[in-house]
Amino acid sequence: MTTMPSLSSELRSFYAGESDRIRREFEAIGDGYAAVVQRTTLLETVVRGLWQEHIAQGDNHPRNFALVAVGGFGRGWLFPFSDIDLLFLHADDESERSFRDPIRRFSQELWDLRTKLSPATRTLTECDRFDENNVEFTLSLLDCRYLAGDREVFSRLHDKVIPKLIQRESRGLVQRLADMTRERHAKYGDTVFHLEPNLKDAPGGLRDYNVACWLALISAMDNLGDWPDAKSLLPASAARRLEPALEFLASVRCFLHFRHGRDDNMLTWLDQDEAASRKIGTTDSADAADWMRLYFGHARCIHRFSTQLLEEIPAAWSLLHRHFQNLRSRLSNADFSVVDGLIFLQQPSAVQDSEVLLRMFDFMAHHGVKLSTTTEYRIEQVLPTLAATPPKGAELWQALQVILLEPHAADALRAMQSLRLLNLLLPELKTIDSLVVRDFYHRYTVDEHSFRAIESLHRLEQSQSEWDKRYAELFSELERPELLFLALLLHDTGKGVAGEDHIPSSLTIAGQCLDRLDLEPADREIVLFLIGNHLEMSAVLRRDIFDPQTIVAFAEKVGAPERLKMLCLMTYADIKSVNPEALTPWKAENVWQVYIATANSLNRSADQRFHGDTGDENVSRLYALAPAAGKKVKAFLEGLPRRYLQAYPAEEVLRHLTMAQRLENDPVQLHLKRGRHWFEVTLVTSDRPFLFANMAGVLAAWGMNIVKANAFSNQAGIVVDTFYFTDRFRTLELNLPEWERFQRNIAEVLTGNADLDRMLADRLNSEKKMTAKVKVETRIDFDDQCSPHSTLLQVIAQDRPGLLHRISSCLSHQNCNIEIALIDTEGQMVIDAFYLTSNQVRLSREHERKIKEALLQDLNRA
Amino acid sequence: MTKVEAIIQNSKLEAVKDALHEIGVEGMTVLEVRGHGRQKGHTEFYRGREYTVDLIPKIKLELVLPDNMVEKVVQTINGAARTGKIGDGKIFLSRVDEAIRIRNDERGEGAL
Repeated sequence: MTTMPSLSSELRSFYAGESDRIRREFEAIGDGYAAVVQRTTLLETVVRGLWQEHIAQGDNHPRNFALVAVGGFGRGWLFPFSDIDLLFLHADDESERSFRDPIRRFSQELWDLRTKLSPATRTLTECDRFDENNVEFTLSLLDCRYLAGDREVFSRLHDKVIPKLIQRESRGLVQRLADMTRERHAKYGDTVFHLEPNLKDAPGGLRDYNVACWLALISAMDNLGDWPDAKSLLPASAARRLEPALEFLASVRCFLHFRHGRDDNMLTWLDQDEAASRKIGTTDSADAADWMRLYFGHARCIHRFSTQLLEEIPAAWSLLHRHFQNLRSRLSNADFSVVDGLIFLQQPSAVQDSEVLLRMFDFMAHHGVKLSTTTEYRIEQVLPTLAATPPKGAELWQALQVILLEPHAADALRAMQSLRLLNLLLPELKTIDSLVVRDFYHRYTVDEHSFRAIESLHRLEQSQSEWDKRYAELFSELERPELLFLALLLHDTGKGVAGEDHIPSSLTIAGQCLDRLDLEPADREIVLFLIGNHLEMSAVLRRDIFDPQTIVAFAEKVGAPERLKMLCLMTYADIKSVNPEALTPWKAENVWQVYIATANSLNRSADQRFHGDTGDENVSRLYALAPAAGKKVKAFLEGLPRRYLQAYPAEEVLRHLTMAQRLENDPVQLHLKRGRHWFEVTLVTSDRPFLFANMAGVLAAWGMNIVKANAFSNQAGIVVDTFYFTDRFRTLELNLPEWERFQRNIAEVLTGNADLDRMLADRLNSEKKMTAKVKVETRIDFDDQCSPHSTLLQVIAQDRPGLLHRISSCLSHQNCNIEIALIDTEGQMVIDAFYLTSNQVRLSREHERKIKEALLQDLNRA
Repeated sequence: MTKVEAIIQNSKLEAVKDALHEIGVEGMTVLEVRGHGRQKGHTEFYRGREYTVDLIPKIKLELVLPDNMVEKVVQTINGAARTGKIGDGKIFLSRVDEAIRIRNDERGEGAL
């Protein structure tokens, strides 16, 4: 650098020449660090020159007045178009008055140079005041640096005023700093992973690094009552990790400033292309997507460090926070301890066990706590060993589904992703790791979008929004939510593969992942269905949703109500996680409208019958699974409703066929199994009067609460009825031998060898009469239009023991044949739909009237 | 200059947009709206509950045009949005006194 000229016109050309040199050097070697240091030095030279010219006027050094660099200028990190923060520091008011005009001339010169001067004039007393509404000023003092003037005044500020101010106000200052940071993060959706991030203010930006340094400095000054050694401010390990991130961000921010010609820190797609092609911040060649991965890696490092300090430092000081954290520390168990909301390992070496490792993320997902730095370090240490023999198959799926179902699943997934553990366990997710896909709709990277989709479903329960409550109710009805979460995790994996349509690639990649997890074929089918159709409901929204044909076509594509619920929630979550404004009330209402219209359509078309090979996907799969049984399969399916094939996976259908073939030897075939939420018993037998009613009755007599049921029959008169029930008295749950007696008893009742009425009377007498918490009015509706074969009866009533038996017995007494029964329970309300015939035709109006009368009489009886 | 406000069915947005692009209309504002005209709402029953849709979701397009284009645009929207059934929507025309491009303060039809 050359010496400073004294004339203003020369000053301008000197400043312009030096600025140009810095720019050219940056363009040649791309060293951001060097550029910010050189610019700081240039501005120091300029302001000292102006000080000489306008304030000191030769050797006449002013007393009681000093020029101080604060903020970024104080830190020595002056980016090409950053504000130049200067403090005109006076010992008293007298000094302030006497230097007013020279300061004005001094400032004018800097503005004329087109620098962005941000001046502040304060006395020492004013600097000592802490203003909650202007925390920025106090924070800027933390970076103060002497430039010119009375060194004694500066020393009083630096050595006395600031240390005392910080010791006195540290709690309030940290609190405000934490609040401001949280507000800033919230403005950017609390994520690093933006498609077009702001390099300074977004989470993981340079401001986060400043916040981390301020927090560490305030904490140290609070302890020492003095300035700490700047070199030991951050732990050496953290400083080592942050160094490359800072170098990278410094280079990119310089690049942006030079490119935009102003203090614009938004890294747009065009900037990303240019930065990648010019290898900004890196020496390796990379396309824009890979270059952005570099950015996200560095931003994630800074974000992790600053959020850890934000958690730890206020926690150490706040009594209320400590109390809360102490409560959380009671969460500690044999494997993990929780201190200040952070997870530590009880046995550091335990993390080598992949089971413990995965359990830790489940613990995190369950309690909403974070990993401590030490724990993260331990995990990073074991990753190479884990990579040699990663957990897979059912063991991995078991652990993963437990995590997915927990309320803070998305945070656990983010932590796993951040530590590279998620990619190690599910390499299929590598394609979307920090992936920027450019459209004007999405705001976040593909992986973050997927995590947000999972998060949005977990947050439904707490939401107060009217729309969210509807979806929350739907979510609570799901039988296998873990499959939906898995589908959401994988639904956009295909976006990492070149091509117009990402869905085929997503299906291929998801298929590999499901192989790795060794999913049951039926579960696999559901996950792939959801991924393959995740845009279908949005596509329907672009058609006339009030046109019945649109809805029927969509219903045919979906097939079964449970799949519809999952697809509806997937659509909701997918749209909601695109950007905060994507799911407008207008759109939420339309999705809901499509959902209920389709749900109703599915129920009204439940008895469309299967005749011959219709090219149905499910049928093709059946033939593929059991090619030798082709004719038998066809004969068994003949006359069964199409809904039957949608209700059961192919493997189950083949089991029913086998059971039907055994009927010659044993007329009642039963299959009992225990699911996650309830037990399930399937009955295959020849149709006969009162069959469904007797089955419902025997379950009620055993104290079982029927929550769902399906009843189907084929042309040969074979029925397949499945009852899903909860074991209210834990009879089956606690007594394995009772499984046998339970099934034997069902067979005895169905073959007329046991007295069901007496069994039911005993059960009802032994149970105390329960008071209903919610009163549900009985409602009975008939629909003659929805089916060409049967009359649809819908009964809505208060749930109570033996209710299904009473309804179905009443229908049998009224000479009705139950062709299909779709039984459902929602809280204390049962919603049962029966497709009825009488003498193989639909019911007459008179018959319907009689049935309604009989049902009302029976159901209104106490 | 004339402002054209068209309320159309959601499903017709793409068709109307494409048709307008074909006749050289580049800019428009699209709003998600709800309302009803003669096509009143309807009631659905879902799991025993009544669910009334009294305000039907629609799309509203807003365009400001030089007067000589208005008739062509109206015909284009009519052609692309019409199904002949109730609920196809409406088009409203109103006078616009001035248009200003914020970027460079350009005024009048040049700012459109």
